[in-house]
Amino acid sequence: MSTGAKKRIMKEYGECLADTPTGMKINFDEQNMTKWEVLLDGPEQSVYAGGHFKLEINFPNEYPFKPPVVSFKTKIYHPNVSNDDKGSMCLGLLRPDQWKPPNKVVTVLSLIQSLLIEPNIDDAIEPSIANEYKENRKEFEKNVKDWVKRYAK
Amino acid sequence: MDSSTTHSTPTPTTRREVVFCHECHDEWYRDEKGIICPECQSEFTEIIEDDNDPRDNFDHAHTDDDDDLDDSLPPLEESGSSNHPLHNHNPWSDADDPEEADISSMRLQPIGPGRFHVQATIHRTISPAQFGASGNGLGAVAAFQSFLTNVLQSAHAQQSPAGASGADGQAESRSEGDGQPRVHRFTYSANAHLHPRDDDHPEPRGEPVDDLENVVTGLLAMLGEPPGGRRGGPGQSAAFRDMPPNPLMGLFAAMSGGQHGDAVYSQEALDRIVSQLMEQTATSNAPGPASQEDIDALPRKNVSEEMLGPEHRAECSICMDEVAVGEQVTELPCKHWFHHPCIAAWLSEHNTCPHCRKGIKGEETSASAQQGGHGAASGGDPTSSMPGAFGVSGEGTANQPYGIPGSSHPDANANPESNSTAAREGAGDGSGSGLGERLRRGLFGSPN
Repeated sequence: MSTGAKKRIMKEYGECLADTPTGMKINFDEQNMTKWEVLLDGPEQSVYAGGHFKLEINFPNEYPFKPPVVSFKTKIYHPNVSNDDKGSMCLGLLRPDQWKPPNKVVTVLSLIQSLLIEPNIDDAIEPSIANEYKENRKEFEKNVKDWVKRYAK
Repeated sequence: MDSSTTHSTPTPTTRREVVFCHECHDEWYRDEKGIICPECQSEFTEIIEDDNDPRDNFDHAHTDDDDDLDDSLPPLEESGSSNHPLHNHNPWSDADDPEEADISSMRLQPIGPGRFHVQATIHRTISPAQFGASGNGLGAVAAFQSFLTNVLQSAHAQQSPAGASGADGQAESRSEGDGQPRVHRFTYSANAHLHPRDDDHPEPRGEPVDDLENVVTGLLAMLGEPPGGRRGGPGQSAAFRDMPPNPLMGLFAAMSGGQHGDAVYSQEALDRIVSQLMEQTATSNAPGPASQEDIDALPRKNVSEEMLGPEHRAECSICMDEVAVGEQVTELPCKHWFHHPCIAAWLSEHNTCPHCRKGIKGEETSASAQQGGHGAASGGDPTSSMPGAFGVSGEGTANQPYGIPGSSHPDANANPESNSTAAREGAGDGSGSGLGERLRRGLFGSPN
């Protein structure tokens, strides 16, 4: 990783520290600054309220020219998070072809938060969950809460 | 499977057939419970074939003494095995025809009123002496087989380093094969439906796919699978994943794509494949790299007071370093500016502005990009019709091309809700315009 990239990640961390989005905590390891651990509280106004989710943000060597890779380490029932051990997220500005260097981690974090409030159904990685969200919101919310209770307490 | 299967001792005259229910995934012995699923009464059932059984290993672990079932074990058998006594086990098979010694079994068996199951198993030891004989008696299958064998002969001869163990350049033996001549088996099975169409009991939809799988499996066996690869059942997909030993294997591996039997039964599986494909092409939708000349041709200028904007400070939005008055930066036609090394690194991969995605060659590029995105986007806003122009802050910066990168773009940070909306809208369009762009490039050449 270039020194430029490292410098930028440091700067971004500084920005995040100074102005961490609400409901978030960032664990930053200077030895391995390309991997951030984020503790995210389910937004109050969302079905995920009460849950505490651990995320990992991995910066590629080409950062900021390539997007950071976001994955949920805590299992979450969400149309945009893959329901496997990876918990990967790939949508919107996180897509390689939509990412651009001026985007920042803060942007990414806010995107994730907003997705917990309102999933992006049209860009779902878990079509069955997206379908349920569309057609059986009650069941969806029940499952979300179930998973929050089971995995995210 | 229920415990009765483990102590079964097949009688010499019948081969116990296991039936599998596609509805409830139950399985049972046909001679015990018939062809209709005892669990859910479904008729959507299938007799499990030797080489079409995901539970192969389990099934044969306890029936090793059953020669007939042994057929489905890996194709490596002794060369004389085509005459082994299993034929007598099969009440439907004819006595061996010396002319067709390599058909080890051929059966037509009724599996229900008006329904028949046809199965033929061909044992084949690949050696030059047999190629000539392969054309006899088997019609299209044999012709196709010999065709493939001939095609493969050259491939094997060229590239089978371990093939030295097989005297005549034949397919390499499996690692435990002690250099025995390899027997390839090609099994063709089909169910013939001789009954009229029945709306209440539609035919099992899986069958054509399974037949294809049979054919592919048989072909793979003939082609020679990678050393250590297992044949049949679950091992088959492992063989697919291994590095194919020759080009045709590669073709089949690509055909199968790692999916068992290449079959997609659920909407979910299909969606997964579609999104997989979309992800694979995602990066190719991004604009291509700019040429070095174009990068070098970009104007450099020294940062002036008015470039800093009202906040009197600005940063290069790539490295996020603050830029002071008098520092030299590189300006793009859209008036966004960056440190030269920063923007050069980006442009060496994408020929658009990292902010607004305008082409770096001004009119020319954006015009052609517009053409590429034609029909996919709403038009009006020039950036929105560019490939991949659905970025978060694209709209804002396009309307204020004189804005200062980085510090003056709160819209990139502050509005996640509209971000996701933009992304949502972009998802569909992205592939469309990207494809258009690529088509255009293919047809008319790259603007660069």
